Amino acid sequence: MIEIRHLRKEFDDNTIPLRDINVTINNGDVISIIGPSGTGKSTLLRCINMLTEPTSGEIIVDGQDITKKGCNLNEVRMKMGMVFQSFNLFGHLTVIENIMNPQITLLGRSRQEAFDKAMYLLTQVGLATKVFSYPDELSGGQQQRIAIARTLAMDPDIILFDEPTSALDPSMIGEVQSVIKLLAKTGRTMMIVTHEMDFARKISNRILFMADGVIYEEGTPKQIFDHPKKELTRKFVQRLTTLSYKIDSTDFNFEVMNEELMAYGEKLLIEAERLTKLTLAIEEICINNIANYSDNPYILVNIEYSEKKDTLFLSVRYKAEERFDPKTSESKLFQLLLEEPTTTLKETKLKDDDDGCQYKIDMSFKWEDAE
Amino acid sequence: MKKLLIALFAVLLLCTPVFAEEIDVSKFEKIEDFNGLNIGVQTAVLYEELIMDRVPDTAFQYYTMPTDMILALKSGKIAGYLIEAVGYGVHKANHPELTTFKEVPGFISASNIIGNNDKQERLLKEMNEFIRNGYENGLLGDDGSLYQYWIADFDPETDNVGVKDFTFTGENGTLNIAVEGGYEPFSFVSDGNLAGFDVEFICRFCVEYGYTPIFNEIPFESIAPGVETGKFDIGMNIVVSEERNETGTLSDIYYTCPVLLVILENEKIAAPSFFESIKISFNKTFIRENRWKLFVSGAGVTFLITICSIIAGTIIGFAVYMACRHGNILANRVTDFFLWLIHGMPTVLLLMILYYVVFGSSRISGMWVSVVGFSLMFATAMIDMLRVGYNAIGRGQYEASTALGYSDRQSFFKILLPQAANHFLPIYSNEVVTLIKETSVVGYIAVLDLTKISDLVRSRTYEAFFALILTAIIYFIISALMVRVVRIIQKRIDPKRRSDRKVLDGIDTKDWELF
Repeated sequence: MIEIRHLRKEFDDNTIPLRDINVTINNGDVISIIGPSGTGKSTLLRCINMLTEPTSGEIIVDGQDITKKGCNLNEVRMKMGMVFQSFNLFGHLTVIENIMNPQITLLGRSRQEAFDKAMYLLTQVGLATKVFSYPDELSGGQQQRIAIARTLAMDPDIILFDEPTSALDPSMIGEVQSVIKLLAKTGRTMMIVTHEMDFARKISNRILFMADGVIYEEGTPKQIFDHPKKELTRKFVQRLTTLSYKIDSTDFNFEVMNEELMAYGEKLLIEAERLTKLTLAIEEICINNIANYSDNPYILVNIEYSEKKDTLFLSVRYKAEERFDPKTSESKLFQLLLEEPTTTLKETKLKDDDDGCQYKIDMSFKWEDAE
Repeated sequence: MKKLLIALFAVLLLCTPVFAEEIDVSKFEKIEDFNGLNIGVQTAVLYEELIMDRVPDTAFQYYTMPTDMILALKSGKIAGYLIEAVGYGVHKANHPELTTFKEVPGFISASNIIGNNDKQERLLKEMNEFIRNGYENGLLGDDGSLYQYWIADFDPETDNVGVKDFTFTGENGTLNIAVEGGYEPFSFVSDGNLAGFDVEFICRFCVEYGYTPIFNEIPFESIAPGVETGKFDIGMNIVVSEERNETGTLSDIYYTCPVLLVILENEKIAAPSFFESIKISFNKTFIRENRWKLFVSGAGVTFLITICSIIAGTIIGFAVYMACRHGNILANRVTDFFLWLIHGMPTVLLLMILYYVVFGSSRISGMWVSVVGFSLMFATAMIDMLRVGYNAIGRGQYEASTALGYSDRQSFFKILLPQAANHFLPIYSNEVVTLIKETSVVGYIAVLDLTKISDLVRSRTYEAFFALILTAIIYFIISALMVRVVRIIQKRIDPKRRSDRKVLDGIDTKDWELF
C-alpha cells in the first residue's frame, strides 16, 4: 500500500537523518519504529505525509508517487492521520469542534453527521463528558486521546503516531496506550515511533529498528526483541551499556579502571555491593592469576550491564601459556562469591595446543531481590 | 553630603526667577543692552538677522506662532521678541501689558514666492505688474488702501474682508496659494473664513488676472519648500533675504514695515477678576465668530483621517503580510526595506516627503496625503502585529491542520488567524490610539485638523487655556471611542465567549444529555 524507495533527507545544516530507507507498509500492518535518539525515526514518519520534504527517493501511496510535484498533497494527507507528540489540538476550538470541523471542512459532511461521528469517537476514547472543554483545560493524556479521535474522525487509511506518549506524565501514558492498543486490534494500519519497548512489542506485527539513518534491522517483535541478529540491535533492545579494557602489559593501571567502574555503576544505578563483587572477580582472575603468571599478558575484559534484565555481565578472554581455572582460586572471598546463587560462572575453551591456550570466562551477577 | 547638594540646588532654583526679575529691560537704552538675554522670533521670518550682529551672545528662541512668543515673554523665558509693527498692533490690543522698546531694530520687506512649475514665468510677470500698478493706483504703500484698512486702522472684531467678498471667474485656471493662516492681520480665520492683508491682496490679483485661488494654510517654514517643489503656485509673505532669492523666484516687494522689539510694560495693569477673565476667554474661544464650528470641523477631519488610515492600513498590512507569508525572498526583502524606512522616520518627515516630493506635482489634497501616510504607518504596525501574533501560536497548529489535509489557505484562515487575532488585538488598540495622537502633525501639510484649528483659534484669541483643554478632551473622546470599537470586535471574535448552545447550533443532540 505504501512503498518507500531510497528515501533520503538532508537538512540545511548538513545533518542527514535519513540516508537510504526502503520499506513497504502493507494494509493492516502495525509497525513500530524503534531506535536510539536522533536516528531519523520521526523524520521518516514526517516524510511519509510530506510534512518534511525528502531530499530524494520515492514514496508511493496507492500507485502514486507523492514526492512528485503536482501531486495533490491535501488529498493524500486526508487519507493519512497523524498524531503528534505535542497533541496540537486547535486551541481556539472546543473539543467537539476539534473533531467536527475537519470533517465539515474537508470531507463535506453535514454538521449533524460530523457531530454524531465525533460523539461516537469521544465515547470510544472515554471523553464524552468533555464536549465543551477547550484543550488548555484538559490534561495531556486527555488531549492526546482527543487528538486520536480527531484523526479517526477523518477515516484515514493509515495513522502515523509520532511519539504519542513522550510528552506525557508517566501516570497518563497508560490511558493513551490502551486507546492505541484498541485500534491495533481492529486491524487499522498504523505506524508508531516510540521509546516504549514493551508497548511496541505488544501491539505491533513488525518492528523497524533504525540507526544512523537506515533501517538497521527489521522483523517480528519476537525476532527483534528476543533474537536480534545484529549487535547494535541487541544492545539497544536489552538496553546494554558496556565498558571494555585490554590488559596487555604488567603495568596495567588497575586504579584507573576501578574509578571508571565506580562512575559507571553510579550512572546506571548499580548497587555498590554488586560492583565490589565485580571488581573482586576482575582482580582475582586477571591481576592475581592470569597476569601474574605471564610476562606478556593479553587479556580482554568486557563489562556489560543490561537494564532490562538487571544483570551485570563480565567476560574475560585471554591468551596465555597455561589455563587458569577460576574454581581453583586460592582466594577465600572469591570462593564465597562463586557459591552465591546470584553468581554464575561459565568457562569456554577457544584453543589449547602447544603454542598456548585461549579461554573465555563469563560471569554474571544478579541482584538478590531480583530473584 | 547628598542632602546638602540637593538643598543647595533647590535654593539656586528658587533664586533664578528672582534674578531674572531684577533685569528691568524697560530701562535699557539701546539694543546692545539685550546682549546675552533670550530674544524670541518667529520661525523662518529671519528678523533676527536685523540685530544679530549687535547682540552676539544672545540665544534666539524660535516660535511657530506669535501667541507662543507672548506666552514665553509673560512667563519670563525671553526678555523680548521681534515682530513687525503690524503684528504688534494686534498683540497690544489683546495684551495691554505689552510695549515696544524705544529703538527700532530695522525694517523688513515682504514679497511673494512663485512656484517652481510651468506657470512660473507668466505668474511672475503678472504679479510684478500687479504690484507696480498697486503702488500707483493706491492699493499698496503706506497710504494705500490695504495698509490703511489692515494695518493703520485694523479692528480684529469687525475687519474680515476675505475670500467670501470676491467672485472669481477662473478663466485662466486655478492657483494654489500658500498662506500661514494663523498670522493676523495678514492671513487669519475669521468667522470660518480666511481673511487678511495677504488674502485680500491675492484675491484682488486673482480677480484681475482671471484665476480662482485655492488657499492652503500651512506653517511659514513649510511655505518655501512647498513652493520650490511646485506644489504651490504662490507662497505669500516671504521676508526678503539673499539666501531665499537663490532658490525660489521672488516677486517685487509688496509691503515694507518696521520690525519692533516687544517687551513687557513695567507697571502692572489691573487684571479683570478671575471669573470675569474665564468668561471672557470662553466667549472669545468658542462663541465669537462661531469658533466652535471650527473645532467641530477640525475634530471631523482628525476623525476622518484616523478612520480611513486604520481601515486602509489594516487592509494594506494584511495584504502585504499574506504576500510575504510564504517566505518569498523578494517580497520579504522589499517589505523589510519599507518597514525599516517607515519605522525609522519621524511622522512629520514622512508626511512632508509624501506631500512635497512623492505627490509634489499632483493636486491631491493634504488630507488624502496624510491618509496615505498614516495608512502606510499603520500598515507597518499591522504587519508587525501579524508577525508577532503568528509567531505566538507556534508551528504545531499549522502542522496539525496541514496533516489533516487543510489547504494552506484553509489552515491560515480557519486555524491560525483566529488564534493570532487573540494575541495581536490588544496591541492593535494601542496602535490605534498612537495613530490618533500622531495625526496632530498633519497641520504641516495644510490640513486643518483639530490641532491646527486649535492653533488658528489661539492665534486669534491669544488665549491658550480653553482651546488647548478642549482639544485634549476631543482627542480623549476620539481615542476612547476607537478603543471601544476594537474591544467590541475583540469580544465578538473571541471564540471562548460563545455559549455551549451556540457551539452546537442547529445540531440535534437529544441522544446525548449535553445541556
